[in-house]
Amino acid sequence: MNISDIKNHFTNWREWELNPIVIKELRQGVRSWTVTGMLLLFLVVLFIASLGFLVTESFDINPNMQLGGSMFSAFTVILAGASIFFIPLYTAVRVAAERQENNPDLLYVTTLSPARIIRGKFLCSAYIALLFFSACMPFMAFTNLLRGVDLPTVFFILAYLFLVVCAANMIAIFVACIPASRPFKVLFALGGFFASFWIVIPLVEISWELMRSGVGAMMSGRDFWIGVLTAAAIGLAATGLFFVLSVALVSPPSANRALPVRIYLTVIWLLGGLLNFGWVAQTGDAERMNIWTFSTFAVMMFALLVTISNSDQISQRVRRTIPAARVKRFFAFFFFNGAAGGLLWTGGILIATYFASQTVMLFLPTAAYPSILSMQGQIWFATTAAYAFAYALTALFIHRNFLSRRPPKLAGLLAVLLAAAWAIAPSVVLFFLNQLSWKSVEGLQLGNIFNVASLRDDDQRLYHLYFAFGWLLVMIVINAKWFFRQANNFRPPPVAPPVLK
Amino acid sequence: MKVEVKNLRKEFGKTVAVDNISFSFDSGHVFGFVGPNGAGKTTTMRIISTIEEPTSGDVLLNGISVCEEPELARRAVGYVPDTLPAHADITVHEYLDFYARAYGLRGKKRTQAVEAIEEFTNVAGIREKHLKALSKGMKQRVSLGRALVYDPDVLVLDEPAAGLDPRARVELRELLMLLAERKKAILISSHILTELTEICNGVVIIERGKILETGTIEDVLKKSAPRRTVAIRLLDTQNAALLKELLQTPFVENARDVANEIHFELNGDESAACDILGGLIAKKFKVIEFRQTKANLEDIFMNVTKGGVQ
Repeated sequence: MNISDIKNHFTNWREWELNPIVIKELRQGVRSWTVTGMLLLFLVVLFIASLGFLVTESFDINPNMQLGGSMFSAFTVILAGASIFFIPLYTAVRVAAERQENNPDLLYVTTLSPARIIRGKFLCSAYIALLFFSACMPFMAFTNLLRGVDLPTVFFILAYLFLVVCAANMIAIFVACIPASRPFKVLFALGGFFASFWIVIPLVEISWELMRSGVGAMMSGRDFWIGVLTAAAIGLAATGLFFVLSVALVSPPSANRALPVRIYLTVIWLLGGLLNFGWVAQTGDAERMNIWTFSTFAVMMFALLVTISNSDQISQRVRRTIPAARVKRFFAFFFFNGAAGGLLWTGGILIATYFASQTVMLFLPTAAYPSILSMQGQIWFATTAAYAFAYALTALFIHRNFLSRRPPKLAGLLAVLLAAAWAIAPSVVLFFLNQLSWKSVEGLQLGNIFNVASLRDDDQRLYHLYFAFGWLLVMIVINAKWFFRQANNFRPPPVAPPVLK
Repeated sequence: MKVEVKNLRKEFGKTVAVDNISFSFDSGHVFGFVGPNGAGKTTTMRIISTIEEPTSGDVLLNGISVCEEPELARRAVGYVPDTLPAHADITVHEYLDFYARAYGLRGKKRTQAVEAIEEFTNVAGIREKHLKALSKGMKQRVSLGRALVYDPDVLVLDEPAAGLDPRARVELRELLMLLAERKKAILISSHILTELTEICNGVVIIERGKILETGTIEDVLKKSAPRRTVAIRLLDTQNAALLKELLQTPFVENARDVANEIHFELNGDESAACDILGGLIAKKFKVIEFRQTKANLEDIFMNVTKGGVQ
């Protein structure tokens, strides 16, 4: 889209139309007994709860009565429960039904872009959440008249609960888009149901805490807004991540699925690092840098698995978008589809994170550096990362040489299985030798990625470090030929494609 | 619009659903896609419609690859699947309106397109009915309407006549002939071969993922059944004498009595048929019917396929 396109878009604002998915889903939603039934049930529960409070508490009159607070607490539980359990589940079931493994809904083969489809699904779930929140709002606002809660608190809690529900909806859409069979999706749904408890309980606790403190009183404080904005930014970043992941999942295999995900993660990684650095600089507490360092580490471990599951073959369509200029092509290699470029990108981010953290520590010598990302912490980071790459490259090598006819996603699975097998194998052997004990589990088990964290003797971590880097080096050498072939093949095709008239 | 299927292959695990098939058809052509169950018809059609990715090979729509540029190719293809629309909580009009929106039709243009399609597929009277409440025939019409609402150049129909009553079938056939007149390139699979013979210009016969026969209907008929079968009916019951006479006549093979008629295979051209008829009349046989029975698609299908599935 160039500037004139953008200009035309805004000039023709009268022709703007809502996302077709939103219209369809909302039409189905308002006709659906699931939504209307749940909404009616929700209203009945709210009504009965209000009536119950008003009737029972009316007999207990005291001068410092704060009936509003008690009612608001109950409403918060009802709203959080209904919206966190029902709306994401409803959204996920609808998307999963459309994304059936063998028979996806035809809307996925329209000219709607994958991003538009996911945005439509997300917006629709947000509208349904808004419907539930709108239904609850009068009840909650009413509690203000009964003392015990101020209006800013009511609206603040509603707003933050709404954002959490939206984030949960996005996660639900992502899970529903995963190309898994129906039993797996049912398992995911059950997992999501139980995970919802872990969201609802802290949510309610935070709401009660906010209610007790009174948001109105805290709003003038700078720390309050820093906390709120940080939480909102983290939530937004996570929601955005699940959005780009969902888009990648519904994109055709020939599309450059990796590009938006890697760009997004890189931007979030940079912004997160800067935000974290700002926080560290302000508080002088270098320990807070670990939030960024270890979050990056966790995300990159998942990214590594996905990366090695990429096909070596780059589609013609992606190939056509490879820049011809050498410098641009070099950077594109990191971000485009393909395992080789993905390995470089993941490795690059991890190395940069490691050194950036170290640099921050050096710039802030007054911070409690030695006790934070201590020597052992650094060794753990480097060793685990080296092991992860060694396993990934081993899996790639095995897949390429022995299972090349099988789909590339097997390489990711193989890496996990190898790591798991090697983690279990020593314990199984010790079990049969009748020598399995906590001490043996905490003893040195070279090659066991999990053993790095569970080692009793910190000094032995160095052995892990040497072993992991030695293994990684061997794997780099073994895979070097493949890697250079991939890098060499990463160039645009010579002929331009035909155009549909 | 030219549709070219090139060396298409699709594997599901160890099963080869489509094995290196190639064929092509153009605008204004109705191509029948025939084969036993499990032959690979639906898989091929789903690949053409960008729903499936082939293991190898490609389908080009005016040179646009469905593998490399599915989003572009999609604009040109309307797909009517064998499974009918079963969306809950949506009316016929809303369903068509959604697909019109999804294919980028806006404002008045969209309203007109949806109304025109509702008229064309004769669903205007049931536009406010819920999809789930429709009969199979009506759902089939809605499905066809959905595929046509954005006016694609290529139409891929997977078993559109399955389960339809005779009237609905005739109406569907008329709709398809109208669409062919509108220069759509149509690929249709069906097990009702007599109907395909009537509406198709070309045919692809496929079994176990491989093409057995392909070409225009005439070519395939000529190739698969080069000999004509002739049936003769006499006024009186002189069948035995006629049979004896025919066995001595040149160009006549395999003469037999079938349900009070004499059938034989004519190993010659139409003038040979004239000579035989003239000879019979000269010999005072009271011929009241002398007709050539052409082999139809069903005969060819039965001849070339073995009924194998994967």
